[in-house]
Amino acid sequence: MRKIIAASITAGSFITFTDPSLAADRDRGARLAAMCASCHRLDGGDGGIPTILGMSPEMLTRTMLAYRSRERPSHIMRAIALSLSDEEIATVARYLAALDKQVRP
Amino acid sequence: MRARTRREFGRLTGAMALAALGPRLAAGEAKARVVVVGGGIGGATAAKYLAASARTIEVTLVEPKPNYTTCFFSNLYLAGLCSFESLTHGYKTLAQRYGINVIHDSVAAVDPVAKTVWLKSGPKLPYDRVVVAPGIAFNYDALAGYDEAATQVIPHAWNAGPQTQLLRRQLESMDDGGVFVLVAPPNPFRCPPAPYERASLIAYYFKQHKPGSRILILDAKDNFNSQDLFLDAWERHYRGMIEWLPAQFTGGIKAIDVKERSVRTAGETFKAAIANVIPPQQAGQFAQQIGLVDQSGWCPVDPITFESKLQPGIHVVGDAASAGDMPKSAFVANSQAKACAFAIVEALAASERAPPHLFNTCYTFLSPDDAVSNAVSFKPVAGTIKIIDNFVSQVQESAETRHRAAREAQSWYAAFTHDTFG
Repeated sequence: MRKIIAASITAGSFITFTDPSLAADRDRGARLAAMCASCHRLDGGDGGIPTILGMSPEMLTRTMLAYRSRERPSHIMRAIALSLSDEEIATVARYLAALDKQVRP
Repeated sequence: MRARTRREFGRLTGAMALAALGPRLAAGEAKARVVVVGGGIGGATAAKYLAASARTIEVTLVEPKPNYTTCFFSNLYLAGLCSFESLTHGYKTLAQRYGINVIHDSVAAVDPVAKTVWLKSGPKLPYDRVVVAPGIAFNYDALAGYDEAATQVIPHAWNAGPQTQLLRRQLESMDDGGVFVLVAPPNPFRCPPAPYERASLIAYYFKQHKPGSRILILDAKDNFNSQDLFLDAWERHYRGMIEWLPAQFTGGIKAIDVKERSVRTAGETFKAAIANVIPPQQAGQFAQQIGLVDQSGWCPVDPITFESKLQPGIHVVGDAASAGDMPKSAFVANSQAKACAFAIVEALAASERAPPHLFNTCYTFLSPDDAVSNAVSFKPVAGTIKIIDNFVSQVQESAETRHRAAREAQSWYAAFTHDTFG
């Protein structure tokens, strides 16, 4: 399942990014991911803080919701998870999954 | 508008990781020019995200120094817990990987009518937008007996660099049994928990190497950031070593005597083996010079775009900005710089405008293995920036939780400086 979703997004970003809605989604994802980059390296490098690349969009979404509900403890992740809307979490999760394919093919 | 080839796209994302598919140039269209003045955390982050977000923007970063030494984590260096080199970062990656034109020079003037930045060495840089990140300046007028020359004897060490190294040398050569007097500044100032983190880590150093020495904090305030966490840690780790005197106790700090190395308060004069005076602060001098500063001493900005409320077309990020509830910290500078960079990309391309997500995160060391964290989210509300959520460590947390935060802080430093300079 994960493979199919990620593959279609990757294909989308390579070939049909001239589709304005896809490009806009990617732009929004990139801007949200910029916020993650203050603590998580997004180039595949290992900075010590757990990487958020290589997670499926579903997994990343579940993790964010667990931080939001306090099921997983972290001041920082809780503040971020509460700040993002469900739609924004889905957008950044899609972006990171696509980015993963670029930086760690 | 032309489509990118697959190879070109791969090169871009490989190099920039965060490259958004921002606006592209039509053939023959001139690039927009953004000049970023100041290569600290705010300036470097703004330059990087502008360059990575839109290839239609030509980014120039003007910074006189060849390297930047982070103020955050410099208290660890003072305590002998990390090297000076580990705090120092260059601009090579920003130039080479992101194509930023890095110029090591000072800015003499900005002409907002002709939209030109004048460099000290002569050249003029035309711009469409300017981002200014001048950091802080010290308000020496507010503290009798202390000035620029005095910093060579009594360092502030509040801009990391030679000042930090001077204070470290003084700590190393101090005889055991001396009193380290730290003068803490009035609000607002750069990094609210940092004077107290400094006291904690210097107490740690004394405990290891000069156990008969003490620390006296003379505060311009009556309370301070995360006070309960610090007082608890000082009792647990450094009992009897750190004394904090609020302004209501001393009657306020009146003067510094450089020759005597002493601090005079309303009631008493305190003599120091080492004095560390952190003076009252205001926006960096460059911001004052070009008319970005109001009577508060800081730069009022639009809470969404960080454009100056006094000078259109000039954006201010980082410590110099007066941004509602946002404190002056490296994390805030980085967060503001991204919001500002995206707002400029959107303004230049007249594209969709998304409200920014703004955050602060602080890791504070109480000892090398005992750290606390604070995370805050902010939102632009009614012309200013308000705190939405604020999560902070509590007294009574387990040693394991604190130890984990200390390890996480070290990892964060690596990732954060990579986000800014790498």
